[in-house]
Amino acid sequence: MEDVTKTRVEQLIDYIMKNCLWQFHSRNWDRKRQNENIIGMTTRLLCGEPVKPETPEDKCYWVDAVCLAEAYRARHPWLATLGVDQIRELMAKLHEQLDYQTITASLNEELTDQHY
Amino acid sequence: MPYHEFECSKCIPERKQHAVVKAPGEDLTSCLPKGYLNTIPGSISERGCAYCGAKHVIGTPMKDVIHLSHGPIGCTYDTWQTKRYISDNGNFQLKYTFASDVREKHIVFGAEKLLKQNILEAFAQFPEIKRMTIYQTCATALIGDDINAIAEEVMEELPDVDIFICNSPGFAGPSQSGGHHKINIAWINQKVGTVEPEITSDYVINYVGEYNIQGDQEVMQDFFKRMGIQVLSTFTGNGRYDDLRGMHKAHLNVLECARSAEYICNELRVRYGIPRLDIDGFGFEPLSQSLRKVAMFFGIEERAEAIIAEETARWKPELDWYKERLKGKKVCLWPGGSKLWHWAHVIEAEMGVKVVSVYTKFGHQGDMEKGVARCSEDTLAIDDPNELEGLEALEMLKPDIIFTGKRPGEVAKKVGVPYLNAHAYHNGPYKGYEGWVRFARDIYNAIYSPIHQLAELDISRDPIPTDKGFATQRMLSDASLPEDIRTSTTLRQYSGAYDTISPLRDKTYPTFDSRSAAAE
Repeated sequence: MEDVTKTRVEQLIDYIMKNCLWQFHSRNWDRKRQNENIIGMTTRLLCGEPVKPETPEDKCYWVDAVCLAEAYRARHPWLATLGVDQIRELMAKLHEQLDYQTITASLNEELTDQHY
Repeated sequence: MPYHEFECSKCIPERKQHAVVKAPGEDLTSCLPKGYLNTIPGSISERGCAYCGAKHVIGTPMKDVIHLSHGPIGCTYDTWQTKRYISDNGNFQLKYTFASDVREKHIVFGAEKLLKQNILEAFAQFPEIKRMTIYQTCATALIGDDINAIAEEVMEELPDVDIFICNSPGFAGPSQSGGHHKINIAWINQKVGTVEPEITSDYVINYVGEYNIQGDQEVMQDFFKRMGIQVLSTFTGNGRYDDLRGMHKAHLNVLECARSAEYICNELRVRYGIPRLDIDGFGFEPLSQSLRKVAMFFGIEERAEAIIAEETARWKPELDWYKERLKGKKVCLWPGGSKLWHWAHVIEAEMGVKVVSVYTKFGHQGDMEKGVARCSEDTLAIDDPNELEGLEALEMLKPDIIFTGKRPGEVAKKVGVPYLNAHAYHNGPYKGYEGWVRFARDIYNAIYSPIHQLAELDISRDPIPTDKGFATQRMLSDASLPEDIRTSTTLRQYSGAYDTISPLRDKTYPTFDSRSAAAE
């Protein structure tokens, strides 16, 4: 990952880690679902695409995504200089890194427990 | 892994994996202590037991219930009254505690008859109370008393009563957290879905993992009511037993303490399709975001924004008065479970203090993930510390204040470190905008109390300065402040009332048109 992208991903991750809770559900499958849906919706919002949540579960992802997108726009003016493809690429790397830290390389031994 | 080994625990080598320092460059893939394991023999833990976690933490805050421990009287006495989970019905759950008073002869001959007699007596003594929770303890679990059978008998004899059984004896887990889990699952299995609640709003939530410490629940409920949201139940602070039987009818579970109550939210999601939204009720910005999210879920954002604007304008100048005087103060954030992550970042961001250590008595690795993620570099994170480790950490880190429970708090005071009660609070509530200012005020009062000028002197050793008077709090806190801050006319000290909760109980709330009426 080039330095600028790496720094930007770190900034975006840092905000999630310091201010959000949704990435820390208690099981692997929960975290995967949370990360995928919230980062996915946030990406679409940052790219200016409409997001219309249909189910109650989708609404929960959506409210976290809206707040995250607003926080990113407010804190990182460089986002406004990126094109849609660049945002998608950046957010894909963010998603990958978030999954890495909270799921695949997590040291939390409870994540693979089969039951809540 | 950046483990930290305490000198005092070198003789217990397993302890090394339970403490880490978040050094520069570390993240969760390299820096996380072990957690939620059995306490290592030789380590004098500060934990509670699984019975305590079920009864004291989660069951007892329910307000219209006789809470009866089936066991020796000490079990109920030691889980009574120390948590300040008040209620709006005269604090019935705090005034009384009940035990079947099991003795040696009952261990030999069985205690089921004794239990039944106690249940009947308790209902007879308090005829206005028709609900009961019964908690298994170690002794009665081991002798095999069938509490469920006795409860069934009583419910047949007294058809207007309802009884919940919590089978979480003290040994049923490494710590109180095992009891949190058991009572969550027991409640949804036994009681959720057995009452059909009255729905009075288009927007209905369960407020979960909130225990009304000094009124926290009532503060948050006020915000929800101002938005026209029906709080169908609160699990469990200031909560009604029958409301909690109707949890299945909510549209959204708003989860505060995930450590103690995520289990029931997860089950409500799986069994009834009610989604879970985790929130932070502490701190201006996290609380604002939380209210915003709940409102957005229902499409009533403008109602949340009005509250956020009003509350922030009223209380921010007071928070900032304290922030200016707390900047750089070192904090050991040593609560039980969830407050280590609820507070780790926001007290640095909004009060200017520096968290030098976080610990958890009974948290899981998931709690430490949140805590380590939120704290800044060089913070020492400890799982299930023993008292000697706590003392060693205080000596090493030299904090200006410690936020913890009353047992380690009193130890800290003996070595000259001011302490605030993170579990039951000093002068709460601490939730809400005003509550957050009250917390800042308590921190300020603790750090700058003039008592330390004398309390830390040893009259058998130290010279006593008889030639000068006390320095007041303001003399201490303002000594190095810039002139414009010291004399600011916009910043001000806390100006709220002593009792902020009673007025909420008589408050009237706006009515909103229902969605169907608005559409017509």
